[in-house]
Amino acid sequence: MASLILQQLVNAATIGAIYALIALGYTMVYGVLRLINFVHSELFMLGAYFCYGLLALGIGGIGPAPAFGVTIAFFAVFALVGSVGVTIERVAYKPLRSATRLAPMLSALGLSLFFQSAVQLIAGPQPIQFPSIFPSARLTVGGAVFTTTQLLIVVLAVALMLLLATFVSRTRLGVLVRAVSESPRTSALLGIDVDRAISLIFFIGPGLGGLGGILYSSYYGIMYPTMGTIVGLKAFTAAILGGIGSIPGAMLGGFLLGFVEVVGTALLPVVSHGLLGTDYRDIFAFVVLVGVLIFRPTGLLGEQISEETMVYKRDY
Amino acid sequence: MSFAFDHVSKRFGSVVAIDDVSMTFEPGLIYAIIGPNGAGKSTLVNMAAGSYPVSSGSILLNGRKLERLKKHQISRAGVARTYQNIRLFDQMTVLENLEVALAPAEMRHAWREVLVPIYAGQATARRRATCLRLLEEFGLADVAGVHAELLPYGRQRMLEIARALVAEPSVLLLDEPAAGLNSAETDALKLRLRRLRRPNRVMVVIEHDMDLVMSLSDRIFVLHHGALLFHGTPAEVQANREVQEAYLGTDDDLESIRELARHRRAERGLRDQAGAVRHQA
Amino acid sequence: MASALVAQSRSPVGRRLVGALALAAVLVLLLMVPHAGLYYVRLADDVLIYTLLGFGLNLVIGYAGLLDLGFVAFYAVGAYTYALLASPQFGIHLPFLVILPIGAALAACFGILLGIPVLPLRGDYLAIVTLGFGEIIRILLNNMDAVTGGPQGVMMIDAPRLADYALISPRSFYWLLLGLCAVIGVLVLRLENSILGKAWAAIREDQDAARGIGIDTVRVKLAAFAISASIGGLAGVIFASFQRYVSPESFTFNESILIVLIIVIGGVGNILGVITGAVALIVLPELLRGVAQYRMMAFGFTLAALIILRPQGLVPRSFGPVRLLRWLLAS
Repeated sequence: MASLILQQLVNAATIGAIYALIALGYTMVYGVLRLINFVHSELFMLGAYFCYGLLALGIGGIGPAPAFGVTIAFFAVFALVGSVGVTIERVAYKPLRSATRLAPMLSALGLSLFFQSAVQLIAGPQPIQFPSIFPSARLTVGGAVFTTTQLLIVVLAVALMLLLATFVSRTRLGVLVRAVSESPRTSALLGIDVDRAISLIFFIGPGLGGLGGILYSSYYGIMYPTMGTIVGLKAFTAAILGGIGSIPGAMLGGFLLGFVEVVGTALLPVVSHGLLGTDYRDIFAFVVLVGVLIFRPTGLLGEQISEETMVYKRDY
Repeated sequence: MSFAFDHVSKRFGSVVAIDDVSMTFEPGLIYAIIGPNGAGKSTLVNMAAGSYPVSSGSILLNGRKLERLKKHQISRAGVARTYQNIRLFDQMTVLENLEVALAPAEMRHAWREVLVPIYAGQATARRRATCLRLLEEFGLADVAGVHAELLPYGRQRMLEIARALVAEPSVLLLDEPAAGLNSAETDALKLRLRRLRRPNRVMVVIEHDMDLVMSLSDRIFVLHHGALLFHGTPAEVQANREVQEAYLGTDDDLESIRELARHRRAERGLRDQAGAVRHQA
Repeated sequence: MASALVAQSRSPVGRRLVGALALAAVLVLLLMVPHAGLYYVRLADDVLIYTLLGFGLNLVIGYAGLLDLGFVAFYAVGAYTYALLASPQFGIHLPFLVILPIGAALAACFGILLGIPVLPLRGDYLAIVTLGFGEIIRILLNNMDAVTGGPQGVMMIDAPRLADYALISPRSFYWLLLGLCAVIGVLVLRLENSILGKAWAAIREDQDAARGIGIDTVRVKLAAFAISASIGGLAGVIFASFQRYVSPESFTFNESILIVLIIVIGGVGNILGVITGAVALIVLPELLRGVAQYRMMAFGFTLAALIILRPQGLVPRSFGPVRLLRWLLAS
């Protein structure tokens, strides 16, 4: 029994770490532009495809050990997806800054569709097997069986998150990013280059999302053009759960959602006596989403929105 | 008909914006709420209109507690307000801005309007007539078909006030209606506001323009640091020492200002000495 | 010839003539369609169904200003209602005219159920939640095999019977759809001009000020949701009775996006815009059959480009049918 629990905990941590990584992208963008970056889910998917492409081109063979090549691939994907993110912001969001709230959402939707179909055209709609880039050995601890892949995913994701947290709190650039996230107007008045900070956010957020894509595909061994939609929705739920706009919130939300999903899916057949199967996995995220938005819209660690900030004209 | 603030307080975190304020308003009179910036005037209006929740105390309209109601419920109860920064429906015409204020009263018949064209024709004509009459009173009938955003600022203000009156409110809250108006427009505003007196209507105006306040209002409430400092007729308010001090500072303040001026003059004198002495200090 | 027409159109009498001719041409076209080849009839049927769906979603997006990304869920509710009440699935065979209002009402119920918790939320949250709702409905339909037939869907659905006449051919459906589009179009137009429509416009402009003048924004938004959902449900019933087969595949997220596209490209908040959009998005891909695989890509790109460059769409909001008629007839 304990081993089962441990097993599920490890599974939860793994998927939770991935959700957390992707959720960071949503939360950072929302924090500064008060906008849900719908394209983020496609950037997540692009990360996996870019990595596959790079590995296919032989990047994996560079350097003394496979780990070296993989690390290069990671950096390359981060930079590539990050650049795509920055471009998207410049082209599709910046011109709409003064438009209605609906406009950037629709623009993002269009781009989302565009990327999905483009990938579908280039690489085909069928799922492609993703190479195992992590050493995959089985470990048995306390009766629970898990792989080194899982371990590495969790470690890597947490390391990246800690890196981001340090960047945001210790470095000068990071503090600028935080200032702009909290109040773009005040930051601009203080002479901070808001556009540059926004570009940085759109580089880091999507970049991390792209890495999340690699981790996701390594875990499940598969990638397909539409994988962004559902995972993106879940990661967004994680960001909301933790408190949209809060970086530690996204991390917490990710792990929490992973936990709810894994445990819930495991319990569902038991509780419903086999009536509801594990296919209902995706519903958990949605239930959490609706629940949070209704009962505690600011999430667990989110900013307490004071009454004054709530009376905006364009506040749909 | 009665409207009152009953021991109302408002806290934003640890900041006390309104401190145990009680005010009673009688119908048929024009009240002004004045006070230095940050005194909490807009906060009071926002609470009365339902934009902010009240921390403690009550806002009573004919004995009915308003502080727990939602914004639209308060409006339907008979409290109308205008905003400091004009909030009209820009893309709608002047006439439509008024028509839509009739929506709360007419919404229940919307189905009949949709399904029975004859009824729709009658309802539309009726609404139009009512709104046009109001527009004429405010001198806006000639621009009835113009988009609200295209109106000059002064007329937009008038439109906003007109819109607040469509539903025939018992309480009219005007938040700095003269802001941004030149003296001619302010005079016109004063005349119009005077004509809005009704025996069953309370009018409350928040203003900084002292000429307007003194000549328009019957009673004035003076707020300072979120608390009620004084209230009375314009003459009483003008004569009151505490009010003067609140606006201009106390004797101690005056003394420190004089001290500072002396110090500066001395500095300048010293500087002049360094170069050629041109003036006597 | 064209220049002569243009020259004619400069004078008011000339313009009236050209306008009347144009109207007549459109009417003739509409009447002629059933006599064209089957291919054209089916195309027209497609356009009409999407026009109907567009009318529904336009209420929410164009009039009330809310982004509903899960509209396809109501479409599915209507379709499956008919599928389950008029097929061998449960052995129930209710008549078409009975199921039509049931489907619409059920969809409206779903709309209200979804709306109540969700409408007080801000626009972006609303979009995501409705998106999720649409996906959830699809997942449920896909997995509740015992009830919905799962991925295989429901087959051998009854054809609708009106009196003694069974509607089977696309031609007969054409008239049904045309009539329904006309009725719903008129209804939507009247809604727009009613006091409810004005309230929607106010909410679209400045929700907070709308509350300030006493408009119960939640109720008004809920009305938009419910009415739009019922139109979607109606379209769903027709779809199921037409295709005589439903499966979750017809109700994907991409479908929702397509309907959003129709509205945005055609013209937000405008009946003519919806018609334009439906024609553009159904007919154009057919004309460009050769590059069919680029369809989705082109749609996505067009949506983004349009929002950035011309957000009001092809037909601006203020250019409604009444204004079009006036313009054509130069009165």
